[in-house]
Amino acid sequence: MTPKMATNMGGSRSGDWLLSALMGLAILLTLAPVVRLLVEGVSGPAGFSLAPVAEVLAQSTTLSALWHSIFTAGVGTVISVILGGAFAFLVALTDIRAKGALVFCLMIPMMIPPQITALAWTQVMGPSSVLLKTIGLAPPLGSPQPLHSPLGIAVLLGIQHTSIVFLTLRAGLRAIPPEAVEAARISGARGLRLWWQVVLPLSVPSLAAGTAMAFVTALGNFGIPAMLGIPAGYSTLPTLIYQRLAGLGTSVLTEVAVLALLIGVVALAGVLLNRLFLRRRAYGLIGLANRPLEVSLRHLRLPVELALWLVIFAILVLPLLALAATSLVPAYGVPLNWQTISLGGWYEALFRQPVTARAFGNSFLLATGAAVVLMAISLPLAWVMLRRPNRLSRTFDLLVDLPYALPGVVLAIACILLFINLPLTDLTLYGTIWIIFIAYIARFFTVMLRPVQSALAQLDPAMEEAAQSAGASLGRRLRTIILPLTAPAAAAGAILVFLTAFNELTVSALLWSSGTETLGVVIFNLEDSGETVMASAVSVAVVGVVIVLMGAIQLASRRLPKGVVPWQN
Amino acid sequence: MAELTLTALGKRFDSHVALTEVSATFDDGEFVALLGPSGCGKTTLLRLLAGFEAPTEGEIAVDGTLVASARSGKLLPPEERNMGIVFQSYALWPHMSVARNVAYPLEVRGFSRAERRTRVAAALEMTGLTDYADRMPAALSGGQRQRVALARSLVADPSAVLLDEPLANLDLSLRATMQEAFAAFHQRTGATMVYVTHDQTEAMAMADRVAVMDGGRIRQFATPEVLYSEPADAFVAGFVGDGAVVPVEPCGPSDTGDVTVRLLGQEVSARARVAGPDRLCIRPEDITLGDEGALRAEVRQCTYLGGRFRLRLIAEGGLDLVAFSTARVRQGASLGLTIGRPWGFAAEVAHG
Repeated sequence: MTPKMATNMGGSRSGDWLLSALMGLAILLTLAPVVRLLVEGVSGPAGFSLAPVAEVLAQSTTLSALWHSIFTAGVGTVISVILGGAFAFLVALTDIRAKGALVFCLMIPMMIPPQITALAWTQVMGPSSVLLKTIGLAPPLGSPQPLHSPLGIAVLLGIQHTSIVFLTLRAGLRAIPPEAVEAARISGARGLRLWWQVVLPLSVPSLAAGTAMAFVTALGNFGIPAMLGIPAGYSTLPTLIYQRLAGLGTSVLTEVAVLALLIGVVALAGVLLNRLFLRRRAYGLIGLANRPLEVSLRHLRLPVELALWLVIFAILVLPLLALAATSLVPAYGVPLNWQTISLGGWYEALFRQPVTARAFGNSFLLATGAAVVLMAISLPLAWVMLRRPNRLSRTFDLLVDLPYALPGVVLAIACILLFINLPLTDLTLYGTIWIIFIAYIARFFTVMLRPVQSALAQLDPAMEEAAQSAGASLGRRLRTIILPLTAPAAAAGAILVFLTAFNELTVSALLWSSGTETLGVVIFNLEDSGETVMASAVSVAVVGVVIVLMGAIQLASRRLPKGVVPWQN
Repeated sequence: MAELTLTALGKRFDSHVALTEVSATFDDGEFVALLGPSGCGKTTLLRLLAGFEAPTEGEIAVDGTLVASARSGKLLPPEERNMGIVFQSYALWPHMSVARNVAYPLEVRGFSRAERRTRVAAALEMTGLTDYADRMPAALSGGQRQRVALARSLVADPSAVLLDEPLANLDLSLRATMQEAFAAFHQRTGATMVYVTHDQTEAMAMADRVAVMDGGRIRQFATPEVLYSEPADAFVAGFVGDGAVVPVEPCGPSDTGDVTVRLLGQEVSARARVAGPDRLCIRPEDITLGDEGALRAEVRQCTYLGGRFRLRLIAEGGLDLVAFSTARVRQGASLGLTIGRPWGFAAEVAHG
């Protein structure tokens, strides 16, 4: 084969350089912040140096924050696994009723920003709880808020990330061919033995994946430890970084870079541990899971259903009720009744404070922008990665998860380092909305790309070849054949990107400045300055928007193509 | 419609040679079948014609215009080749209606709306799909999908229509119906068609000429009748039609213009293109059964084919033969054979 031939293989087109440029840009976007962070962490005044690392590691605050992070994330993950696992097994394997409603309700905690979760729960407990005061059960004034404790943080982290374990495990359970379970039943296995000896071993990979994901997400969580830990003087790594940066400004960038790297290392260790564990336990599943499993619970069905809905009530309805109650009193601590009920907090927060409207606008624009931009670039990128794989695209495939797997604080620090001074210019992106936007693009890239990638991989290549033979150019094929056929996956990705970005706090907490506040930041700042009633009002509004959006998508799901609604599969 | 010329075409995938030294001309309006076992290179050849693969040796020309050349590196991409293609999986676009699927090649070529409508209507009518124009592909049966794919491949007047085992996914009865449909369709449109299949009956039934392929080469490229009665080598003789290939000793020309060969001590007169054939292809029709006969054989198996019986015979010396009989014959019975004018060829043929 002559070299000239090689360049012609697969039919080189004029659009190819454009795709390569897009790929290069995407790699830059995902990789550059992390590299910049690494460089910052290991450089002294005279080039490479481990002095900053040694210095930061020697501080007792670092070590205690590290331990706090591991403890709260660890205990939280255990809670997530117990709750999410139980729900996943029961929903996926048994004949309980109203599964759709259960799944929908379990999805909500994931879509509610963590700082709102924290705020809502503090309204359930403690001496100032409007809900408890209203029903006369509030503990005496001055008694401690039980959630301002390590265990409180862990429990809320656990609840927050239950849906992650649930969704991953449920997807795994759905892939188990029913024949595997039926064969065990024919062999005489029943009840718990069936679950323990057949179902559980087969679902270990997805359970482990969900656990790792919950741990990494809990580790990087900022909203919950910030709302609960900071008042108690209990710092985790993300809140320590926030406090340092908020207190001392950009002069401590090197120090926080080291702290950020530390979280990254712990997160990476969790992921690697999971891979190591799975290496010996991943069984290949043979057969098609065309029918879902439906083990009959018989007389246990009603009690199980009641228990599940009770849990939903406890982790979802109760805190939201408390939040709503708090948002309706004239001043924090006043019990709610027909005399005191007031929309003053709502009015003040939503209409008097310009920052709230601004934040709604910012968050909406950022989330929409991120979803649209990612949707537009993910399709051609996924196409290149699948049809014209080269070293560049394989590198990108490996790296694209990184900004999402790393805690948001880490990414935020990395973006500050990278954009505080744009290379070759005096310009800075720090303090503009663009730095948040770019960070969102990097962070949510994988959320968008992965579903599109898998949809594209499932497509019969002949679909595209038929269009090619019909005379359609690459652009036309992408537009008229590939885009419509992968649209459901792209829409699912876009919905997830939008909902996650809309509620995002961890990244924007470090990147916002006056005028570029996001919703997460506004709620956090209101609560931080003691405006609990207004914080609650904004929170209820945000939760309302999220639930209405999710509900609208759910209602439309019957008319949408299969695969558009991300929480249905 | 156009003439396709392949010159010393070859295709290598890394170290695997998929196609080598393929030279042939597919005439304008001809229905050509590429026949061979799986892995023989027939699909690779089709993909080279379509432009999905680039040749590593040789050239392809359409009506004398070079579209792919390993030497100059010229490679016209598939979208500029003006070929129609029908895939084994049909590859209908599930998000477009039948009419949209068929109209797509016209849309791409920028035909006017009116022109599109006339042409699509004509294509649908020809494939008997007029009533299904607004259906989605998911609502069609296998045979209907097949016809949509066919209509789509032809609507834009391509230089040639390439068909990649289009009937492999259909059941037997539907396959027979579609074979007739394809043949009738070819007659009506006069399109140059290249049809890949591993099914010899399919190839023989439809094609004007069949290229029998094995090991990346064309073993013989001829009309179905010639392939059957005058196979070029043992592979073609074995792959196409029923019968047996047996070794013989050449004895020189006979007085009738045939050649004489010695089979199990008997002199047999055979047709041949070479002077001294050392192999005979004995088709069932070449054997006359009787009580008398110079050759004796024992019946090993008797299978009813409907209307006649197929006998597997073991002759003296352990020779396997196949014959037809009008009546059932007991297994183990001994019969006399007379062999009339079989085809003789040389075991070692130069490939070309």
